[in-house]
Amino acid sequence: MNKINFYLLEYAYGYIVRHKNKNIFIVTVFTLLVALLCTLFFITTSVSFELQKRIANEPDIVVQNYQAGMPTASTNAMLDKLLEIDGISGGNLRVAGKYYFRKENTYFNLVGIDPFEELSNKFLQNIVDTTDINSSCMLVSKDVLSIMKKAYYSNYFNFVKADGTLVKVPIAGSFSTEDKHYLDKTILMPKELLRKIFAYKSNEGSDIALRIANKNELDFLTTKIRLLFPNAKVISKDDSVLLYKNLFNYDSGVFLALFTIALFTFFIIIYDKANGLSSEEKREIGILKAIGWRVEDVLHAKFYEAALIAFFSFIMGFILAYIFVFILKAPFLGNIFMHENLLNIATFSLNVHIEFSYVLLIFLLSVPLYIAATLIPSWRVATMDADEVMR
Amino acid sequence: MIQLHNISKLYDKNIKALDNISLSFKEGELVILKGVSGSGKSTILSLIAGLCKPTQGEVIVDGKKISKLPDHFAAAYRRDHIGIVFQRYNLISSLSVEENVLLPLFPLNLTRSVMQERANRVLEKFHIAHKQALIVKNLSGGEQQRVAIARANINDPKIILADEPTANLDEKLSREFIAILKELKSQKRTIVVATHDPLFFDLDFVDRTIEIEHGKLL
Repeated sequence: MNKINFYLLEYAYGYIVRHKNKNIFIVTVFTLLVALLCTLFFITTSVSFELQKRIANEPDIVVQNYQAGMPTASTNAMLDKLLEIDGISGGNLRVAGKYYFRKENTYFNLVGIDPFEELSNKFLQNIVDTTDINSSCMLVSKDVLSIMKKAYYSNYFNFVKADGTLVKVPIAGSFSTEDKHYLDKTILMPKELLRKIFAYKSNEGSDIALRIANKNELDFLTTKIRLLFPNAKVISKDDSVLLYKNLFNYDSGVFLALFTIALFTFFIIIYDKANGLSSEEKREIGILKAIGWRVEDVLHAKFYEAALIAFFSFIMGFILAYIFVFILKAPFLGNIFMHENLLNIATFSLNVHIEFSYVLLIFLLSVPLYIAATLIPSWRVATMDADEVMR
Repeated sequence: MIQLHNISKLYDKNIKALDNISLSFKEGELVILKGVSGSGKSTILSLIAGLCKPTQGEVIVDGKKISKLPDHFAAAYRRDHIGIVFQRYNLISSLSVEENVLLPLFPLNLTRSVMQERANRVLEKFHIAHKQALIVKNLSGGEQQRVAIARANINDPKIILADEPTANLDEKLSREFIAILKELKSQKRTIVVATHDPLFFDLDFVDRTIEIEHGKLL
């Protein structure tokens, strides 16, 4: 089998064409199953990749102030106390939050900026550094601008405060979030302006972001902060990772169910195929043996036949999944990961990121199995006496 | 050239097709195996072709014990030395005439020009060249038989085995087949024909007629 025998390849192709109804069915099912499996892995890989990028931008520790079990403003006084703890190398009082724009049924992520403070997100910091923004304006991401324009806000936007009054903020410019889709719908504006919208006092903010010098001290420092502020919620970077992972695992569970169903269906097909050949197929193998084909010649041709179907279906499935996930953005299935409007927790976007080990796994679970399922019954028949097979 | 020594053949462990028979065929000889259906004629052809193995005894062709050959060598032996014309032709009905004829050569991976030359030679020889592109299932019985004969001769085999070759043909086509047989005989091929067609019994170029009944020679 070390040289391609084009006659056997043509024979195999001819065999597929001659049994086109059956093979079209197999190719269709095989393609759809590979497409489904690839879709599941493409989405989970892409989301997992996004998750890692997002976590990389998280501060080491976030402290949120709580009173009577309710989230409340954090203060500069808290920050000062926190900065006195040995091991905490820096921190800032953040002013940020979600703003619900009812007209378009969407949330904006409002992030307060300060020329003397560094944002934990390097991408946003770079935008701030390279853009001229004065104290009464805001920078919006491209998608925010387009949402605002839909609602006829081209140059400014009216934010509604808690007391019902409006804060009119001019749009100084827009920025693209490129492939960082988790930064979609982001608005950057000076902290003081944002405090007005969220009704914070000048020494208040939404939470406190802290940096630590030694990552190994994360647990120790977290515990220390909890003792210092028993009412505060202290979220370490590890907690954030866990939160996202739990959310992600929940989604993956849904996908696991789909994956199991897909595999189960595939194995039924494999089982059915491995269980035997039709009398016509057996007779054909008998004829081939009677005219001088060896067992390996029969298997060679059957290998080509199975490989043509399996490789074609696999490639088609892969391409379909790629188009579905990365070009069409996985309509229906992708919604499993779109928590923004439902839970207001996290939005994941589907950027091209393919883990080829998963693709290899799907390949190994499908192509060799299908080829084996085709070869085994053919081998059984081919090793029988040709005389017996033709009878 | 072909020797069958004390051959017995059981199917499904208890159906006796041949019962301790011994036979031999000389090179260039044309022998008719005569007998009713189920008498064991086809089994003798299958044993000579190495399509099955005897339950007892041995088949020797040109000094080689065919009945002991592993499948790998038995297939090569069939491909190189045996041409078989089956009762129902055993063509692959959805392939073309040319593809059916060339089928035994596919595993050899010969060049296209050699394949084409061989196909042309047998197709012309057996007067079926004009139908070479047609799908076999669209041919008449006589034409299908010509394809089967052409396929059996694609490797210029020394031994031709024909199993009830005229069972599905009318008298005119049967006589045409007999004419082909005569031509093959003139080429010094060893030919064994299993038949109960009376047309074969009085042919002057037939060397011997062997009668079989219930798996025994009469």
